[in-house]
Amino acid sequence: MTAATIPARRSGVDHWLDAFGNLTRWQVTRLRRLLPITMVVQVLSTTGIVIGMGLLYGDLPPERVLYLTTGAVTISLITVGIVMGPQILSQERISGSAEYMAALPVPRSAATMGWMVLNLVTVLPGIVSALLAATLRYDVELAVSWPIVPAVVLVVFGATMVGVAYAYAIPNPRTVNAVAQLLIFVVFGFSPIAYPAEQLPDWLASAHRWLPFESMAVVIRDGLTDGLATEVGRAYAVLAIWTAAAVALASWSLGRRP
Amino acid sequence: MVSRIAPPWVFEIDDLRKSYDGEKWANDGITLRIEPGEVFGLLGPNGAGKTTLVKQVVGLLAPTSGTIELGGYDLVADPDHARQLCSYLPQAPVPIESFKVHEAIELAGRIRGGEKSTVRARTEELIDDLELEEWRDTLGAKLSGGVRRLVGFAMTIVHPAPLVILDEPTNDVDPRRRRLLWERIRRLGDEEVAVILVTHNVLEAEKSVDRLAIIDDGRTVAEGTPSSLKAADRDLLRLQVMLTPGVDDPALPAWLRAEARVGNTLVTTVSEPDVPAGLDWAQGLMTEGVAEEYALGATSLEDVYVRLTTVEAVAS
Ligand SMILES: Nc1ncnc2c1ncn2[C@@H]1O[C@H](COP(=O)(O)OP(=O)(O)OP(=O)(O)O)[C@@H](O)[C@H]1O
Ligand SMILES: [Mg+2]
Repeated sequence: MTAATIPARRSGVDHWLDAFGNLTRWQVTRLRRLLPITMVVQVLSTTGIVIGMGLLYGDLPPERVLYLTTGAVTISLITVGIVMGPQILSQERISGSAEYMAALPVPRSAATMGWMVLNLVTVLPGIVSALLAATLRYDVELAVSWPIVPAVVLVVFGATMVGVAYAYAIPNPRTVNAVAQLLIFVVFGFSPIAYPAEQLPDWLASAHRWLPFESMAVVIRDGLTDGLATEVGRAYAVLAIWTAAAVALASWSLGRRP
Repeated sequence: MVSRIAPPWVFEIDDLRKSYDGEKWANDGITLRIEPGEVFGLLGPNGAGKTTLVKQVVGLLAPTSGTIELGGYDLVADPDHARQLCSYLPQAPVPIESFKVHEAIELAGRIRGGEKSTVRARTEELIDDLELEEWRDTLGAKLSGGVRRLVGFAMTIVHPAPLVILDEPTNDVDPRRRRLLWERIRRLGDEEVAVILVTHNVLEAEKSVDRLAIIDDGRTVAEGTPSSLKAADRDLLRLQVMLTPGVDDPALPAWLRAEARVGNTLVTTVSEPDVPAGLDWAQGLMTEGVAEEYALGATSLEDVYVRLTTVEAVAS
């Protein structure tokens, strides 16, 4: 081998796909112990929400069941992308491994896409188990239709990008952790995800029209039920705006050199 | 040296300045030139600015001013390209907790753009050369600090870029494997790779680098081959005196030069003709009980290093 001549600058689709493949392998290997645990936790929590609420409230009307089921799926997607992801990333910034990754000769977008695929893989078993639990435990008709595919992809992608964006944009990585904690609280307690927005105070309901969480729930509900989701087009539009803004912020903060 | 063929490319840093806070210069006008096949040592005390320098080369930090070029490519303007042209071993431990040793090295080679079979063969070669067989299938989390360092080194050079940057590769590594590491670094030079090697190990660097720069307080205080840096010391010998703790410092004769004071050890240099007098002086200190031991030896790069980086600390 001789390096006396400088190799050509690697770029283009082949290089991107190569990097994407290798980086996905890197991420999977790096999280090989955490990944199965996270999957199990997602399965338990989505199934837990679906079945647990039935135990708590006895006989639920079918519409409540559908809200709960689709809400459990959405919460899982949001938690992984917006809460757990940034917690891992902030840990990596503190330990210095984020800097190691940043010095690797790969496009940042390929690395981020690898991260998204990982998030997607993490949530899939939880989605399936929530749907199975709902069908088996209650007498409800889920109507799974093709829009569930773009809906899941868009929600995971949007959630991942929002997570990556704030995980890198916030100067102090320890603050990232605090923000993630706060978001758990907002998502679980005060977002119209597993219940309709009418149950919230007006001001909070109108805030949620412009926050991404309710829209995420709407597009997922649209892919899993019939006629329960309203203003679906608007929800996609809100998500598209959030995703675009998050992509812009993420690429700015990932490309930033102090 | 007969006639010099022009190198195929050069790596050049010109008047590089970097300040983190806009007040203090971590790099204060550094200029360097390295050719393929050269192992270039970067020495200097803690906080001198060595890591700051190499992080700008690999595009992790933006210079405040100055240029960095490899083969005419502007690395500051195109950090993506910079990362392709430099293989970098950071000073911090590599994040390979959940990787088996051979997995980490192989994947690093693939990420750097190496072919599967070449990378695999080279991984086994490196595991063999650095005597890591015992840990081939061990997870990173279970490795000792030194072994993890060696794995990081292997990950960096398994598919080396034209410029290999090693920030303190010998840290925590045992003396025997350190020797293997230095051999491997020398071989990179034979492969026409340019190597920037940050180290605190002056004595080992002296034997293994082609040229070096000593950095202090963000500035280059000396640059050249190990022997050119020692040229000024050619007819000097080092006389080291171990002082008795608690005793007042002895007065130094005019022909004796104080170089440094490390704990109770006083390092001085003396020119050849004055050696007998120097030995008498040291023997006298022993008799008076001021010193416990003394030693006379050849000067090394370490003496040059200590003199250049501790000037203000020595009151002579
Ligand atoms: N992220 C940072 N923010 C602010 N100042 C920094 C930062 N990193 C380094 N410095 C400062 O810049 C100077 C040079 O640090 P640098 O890490 O480059 O030294 P070094 O020569 O690599 O030292 P060592 O041998 O201890 O690794 C020091 O004064 C250090 O405090
Ligand atoms: Mg350093």
